[in-house]
Amino acid sequence: MSQDANGSSTLSPLTTAGKSTPRIDSVERVTGKARYSWDVKLPGMLYARVLRSPHPHARIRSIDVSKAASMPGVKAVITHENARVVWGAGSIAGGGQYNDELKKITKQRRYIFNNPVKFVGEPVAAVAATDRHAAEQALLAIVVDYEPLAFVLDPEEALKPEAEKIWPEGNLSLNVRNEAVPNVSRRGSIEAGVAAAAKTFEDRYSTAFNHNAQMEPRCCVAHWEGDKLTVYTPTGGIVNCRDDMARDLGIPRDRVRVICQYMGGNFGNKNQNQDADLIAATLAKMTSAPVKLEFSRKEDFVGMHGRWPTVQYYTVGVDARGSLTALKMRAYSGMGPYRKNSGGIAGLELYACPNVESTLYPVYTNRTVSGNYRGPSDPQGFYGVQSMMDDVAYKLGIDPLEFAIQNMSRKFRDEVPYTNYSLEDCLRQGAARFGWRERWRREPGSDAGPIKRGAGVSFMIFRASLGRSSAIIHLNAQGRYTLFVGVTDVGGGAKTTMGMIAAEALGVPLSQVDVVWGDTERCPYSVGESGSRTTMMTGGAVVEAARALKQQLAEKGAPTGDNVLIASTSPSPTIDGKSRNVFGAHFVEAEVDVEMGRIRITKYLAMHECGRIINPLTAKDQIRGAALQGIGMALREDMIYDRRTGHPVTTGYYGARHLTYLDAPEIDVEFIEVDDGYGPFGAKTVGESGIILGPAAVANAIFNATGKRMRDLPITRDKMLGAFA
Amino acid sequence: MAEDPTLQVSRRSFLGTTGAVVVGAATVPTLPDTAAAAADPPTAPRTRIVLTVNGTEHRLEVEDRWTLVEVLRDHLDLTGTKVGCDRGECGACTVLVDDAPVYACSQLAVWMDGRRVRTVEGLARNGVLDPLQEAFIAHNAAQCGFCTSGQLMSAKALLERTATPTTDEVRRSMVGNLCRCANYNALVEAVMAASRAPRAATSGGGAA
Repeated sequence: MSQDANGSSTLSPLTTAGKSTPRIDSVERVTGKARYSWDVKLPGMLYARVLRSPHPHARIRSIDVSKAASMPGVKAVITHENARVVWGAGSIAGGGQYNDELKKITKQRRYIFNNPVKFVGEPVAAVAATDRHAAEQALLAIVVDYEPLAFVLDPEEALKPEAEKIWPEGNLSLNVRNEAVPNVSRRGSIEAGVAAAAKTFEDRYSTAFNHNAQMEPRCCVAHWEGDKLTVYTPTGGIVNCRDDMARDLGIPRDRVRVICQYMGGNFGNKNQNQDADLIAATLAKMTSAPVKLEFSRKEDFVGMHGRWPTVQYYTVGVDARGSLTALKMRAYSGMGPYRKNSGGIAGLELYACPNVESTLYPVYTNRTVSGNYRGPSDPQGFYGVQSMMDDVAYKLGIDPLEFAIQNMSRKFRDEVPYTNYSLEDCLRQGAARFGWRERWRREPGSDAGPIKRGAGVSFMIFRASLGRSSAIIHLNAQGRYTLFVGVTDVGGGAKTTMGMIAAEALGVPLSQVDVVWGDTERCPYSVGESGSRTTMMTGGAVVEAARALKQQLAEKGAPTGDNVLIASTSPSPTIDGKSRNVFGAHFVEAEVDVEMGRIRITKYLAMHECGRIINPLTAKDQIRGAALQGIGMALREDMIYDRRTGHPVTTGYYGARHLTYLDAPEIDVEFIEVDDGYGPFGAKTVGESGIILGPAAVANAIFNATGKRMRDLPITRDKMLGAFA
Repeated sequence: MAEDPTLQVSRRSFLGTTGAVVVGAATVPTLPDTAAAAADPPTAPRTRIVLTVNGTEHRLEVEDRWTLVEVLRDHLDLTGTKVGCDRGECGACTVLVDDAPVYACSQLAVWMDGRRVRTVEGLARNGVLDPLQEAFIAHNAAQCGFCTSGQLMSAKALLERTATPTTDEVRRSMVGNLCRCANYNALVEAVMAASRAPRAATSGGGAA
């Protein structure tokens, strides 16, 4: 292989990897045999339901459960008075998930039941009964005396001195050192950058809360056998979930088994335990019976999490040649009343600029808790900064595509080289394929008549770093290989991908490899299906295990009788002095009926460089589905609150207005395939990257079609009509 | 659809062996939780119904508040039908009742007396997958797979009505089946591939 100037190598063809391959579990998926957590049923199992707060902020004066506890079929009732279990993953200093040390020092902790309650839908009590109807009836008999408190919903308002304090320390969420200060990062000097600018621009953008809304509602079956707990729960990370359960319940890790074979969607922040797991385990312990806790769809909306809403203020300085001299963001992320994740807002790193400053305020509000949703920090920030840059380009009279190519990052933070660089290829090849010249209007909004078309573009750099994960491979005397990986397959096709990587690395057909997954008792550590890391990290471990097994085979020969060869590896690969990323550009043509406010996407091209694609069949649909979720974020999804009552009014699928068959345009996907010499056969990340670009490209296309800069997501019909009012 | 003659046998044997039990069918084992539930006095009125599921007749005594999807999943162990919202929004629980697609979460079991229900478990015959199932596999129509059973049953109803649908007809007839993985492009491709429609360029939706 020879590397070109951009660090990419020509791809050498492989045998299994790179070929479109139907999933190894596809028969189970289409016959109803695939068993999801929601389907688990154990002998003698009780059903549990949760009572939730009707107040956005209230102190619980008293709870009377006596009537509920004596109802037919009711076996246990728990509240904050008799079940004080910390939920470590529910609130962490600085939002540092997957960090046990941070969970230990966290001051603003969350328990499975809290007093005061801090958002509508916060758990107040839970009931276990012989069937779900008995449990539901018992909830109605629980009497709670609340003292309602003032509440705040908007992150900017929450920082005002007169705002109701959700925590004693105030509403600015504490950082990893428990300090109430914003997250600031700086390079160069903004003052110098503004002074050097020929022109400066300022603007404000905002984005909404988008619920993950995976199809399988939150549920858990917990079952104690002696001191051993088995948990069936939809989790993207069985190992992290197990470790969280052990820590929160104060039992050794080997006393917890987590099983998740199939999972009805993930889309972020499920690589840990949930309060449902702890509530089910607590009830199961008390009743000495298996307990299944099921959330209704509405409970999933209020009781789980979604993308943090943001408000973003930008200052951009540009010199006479149209190059950036200053780039500043001050931004607010609404976290709900607990800190599940970072609240980060990405995007500034997309640009080459000597003077950059970012100030981020993660703020507590009395809303449903925010958490990671597919590309946690990315689409909201990319929408803000790339709308801003698009606007600057028009104001300077420059084609926004050329402005992007002139100013985009060529080195990470202008200093660290990328392992390879294909961003310009994505933009130039994508523009040609999309027909940018024909579809883009030099004069925005210039189409005659009420139905106007225009084109927009956005681009992406997104991390594809490596890290620790494990894999085990057995070879038996019959020549069958068994791969053990701790993945759960949340929908991306991980176990097929892992099987393909193993087959490729072993030099055998995929049909000769069995994959064992989704059970902490049988599988080694996996990084968990979050951060789009499984293919790179667990896939990397699979390659190492295959290599080790082949070496044993060469040294010892094939196993005979009942003997097996076993290779087990836990590599922690690193990238020396470079930054590894995926690159992409999305091109969108939008059609706006300015009299009706209706927006249609008439063409959508997603250009991606994700390294080598292991399974084109599933990778393509990861991008297509993610791009459609991005369109939903751009045009539809919001969790709207009634400001008088603090109640969310758009919970559920109708309320959230997710895209349907009729709203989903065809997404064209093109991969530029390269091998940068890292990762399994050069594979990078796919799962999250497709959602990141949609909102910016859609909003920029709407501007090109109408001449209206839409600064607040989602761009709903009422907002579109309002822009013309 | 014509009755499968092989099913007559199971019906006769069913009628010959079933007594008055809370839930029972020749092909369905007695479920452990039935006994647990029976230990507590029933808290809701019950009604006896006859329900034919995938060709097998079941005589059931159901609580009047049970939905069809509860009976299928909890009492007949047919967990292929999923519950995504339990309130008629998502379509994950779609089954065919007398050949029409319905949301099983929004039908009370007592309304189903004498009706003929088909679920995803009944699509394959004697271990041979339905062409729709084959097309779903080839076109990666199931990502997380949780909406898949409902999608399959909606598509089945469509193709039984219309052997050669257009892509727009596919979209319109399946609009009640949400896919949060937003795998709609692949789903439309799979249904078209399973249909007898001539291969043609597809046109997108895309209204907001």
